[in-house]
Amino acid sequence: MKKLIIALAFLGMSQPIFAQLERKLENENLPVDLIFHAPRHINLLTVEPLEKKSMHFAIMHTFGTLDGGVENLWGLDNGANIQFSFEFGLSEKLSLGFARSSRDKFYNLYGRYHLLEQTQNDKIPLSVSVAGGMGAVSNPYRFLGPLERPDFSDRLAYSAQVMLARRFSPKISFQLSPMLSYFVNPLEIYQIEGDQNLYLALGMSGKIKVSERSSLTLQYIPNLNSDLRSNFGIGWDVEAGGHVFQMYFVTSQALNEQYLLAGGNGVPGEEFRLGFNVNRIFAMGQKKR
Amino acid sequence: MNRLVFLFAFLLSLSVSGQEYQATNGKVVFLSKAPLSEFTGESKTLKGLIDLDKNLVDFFLDLNTLKTGITLRDKHMRENYLETEKYPFAEFTGKFETLPTLTSASEKVKVRGKFKIHGVEKEIVVEGVLKKLPNGSLDLKANWTVALDDYKIEIPKLVFYELAPEQQVSIEAILNPKK
Repeated sequence: MKKLIIALAFLGMSQPIFAQLERKLENENLPVDLIFHAPRHINLLTVEPLEKKSMHFAIMHTFGTLDGGVENLWGLDNGANIQFSFEFGLSEKLSLGFARSSRDKFYNLYGRYHLLEQTQNDKIPLSVSVAGGMGAVSNPYRFLGPLERPDFSDRLAYSAQVMLARRFSPKISFQLSPMLSYFVNPLEIYQIEGDQNLYLALGMSGKIKVSERSSLTLQYIPNLNSDLRSNFGIGWDVEAGGHVFQMYFVTSQALNEQYLLAGGNGVPGEEFRLGFNVNRIFAMGQKKR
Repeated sequence: MNRLVFLFAFLLSLSVSGQEYQATNGKVVFLSKAPLSEFTGESKTLKGLIDLDKNLVDFFLDLNTLKTGITLRDKHMRENYLETEKYPFAEFTGKFETLPTLTSASEKVKVRGKFKIHGVEKEIVVEGVLKKLPNGSLDLKANWTVALDDYKIEIPKLVFYELAPEQQVSIEAILNPKK
């Protein structure tokens, strides 16, 4: 009798009232979309991958300090450090790019590789990516005598980082990026404040979504092995017209990883500066319908 | 024990008997036709069931599988408009107004039922064409219009693609007899 009851219970369970199809996802392990708005977040790189055959173009500016007031239009008259970068998605995991910043006419080759992508069901709780860069100061330093000018090898600077990111809720994302940068020869003529070769730092990026298409953004990069002040930034990301606009206040004019760590920072409040990035992702060879 | 065996046999017979047809990879296309920009989205993972004994028509689509050809647009569609994390499926459950006769000639059918997307359910009537293929499967084609406003799907004002307030949806599915 007991068995009969169990069997009846089974019968009841296997016969839903309407016998509809069971709603099942095609892929149970869907990745989380858009942990950050773009592959860049204020001045740091993010885990946001590029699709194969897409290109990310970013143009970034940081101006002079705000303390000049209206006379210098809060730093806009003081000349900007401008970096533009092109990054190409070679596969769903790997992208390579190059960038040029006007500060010291620095050319940078860099790449990102995505090891893990956070999934919606939390089977993978974090997105993990690595990035590395190799750059060279191209300023000719004509004011120096031919023998005093730095050799090519003295002009090189490298960077490497691991990026660990998690979207904690649809509104809040955070990324921790242990970073290093290495200047082969940190010469005084370079626009950096540090005099060591190796710089270690912990990049932190935060995003708090305020509306469907805009977020409050934060950046904090404490230096771990130097007396240089830490980088701090606060800003606003807006998605509009297929672009991601990023406006922010930040303590350094540096825009690439090497200079972010070695370049030095002002004090928030005194040497804050305005910056803004424009990000655009172009699809190349994707089907357009 | 005998009774148990009988029960299981009965249970088995329930799923075998009847005129049930199922589709596992039906095609869904939506067309967004705005004045300045026109695009389509497509998925080939439509799941469907037609049960003539119970007069049940049941379809659903995993909206995460819709592709419009531009990845960023897909991401925005999932995150901002359809909100697929909260509402992953588009579902339709309904009844034939008159049961189809299932001939090899195309036959117009009308199905009344509930369509649910973005967490909003509405009663709709969908007209389609049904025919029985020589191998015993059913071929169903249908199309209707989804007004985004009806389902509380916000139309963006400031994006690089224009989204039509009314989306033309069409489905195509081969439903095989359930074995």
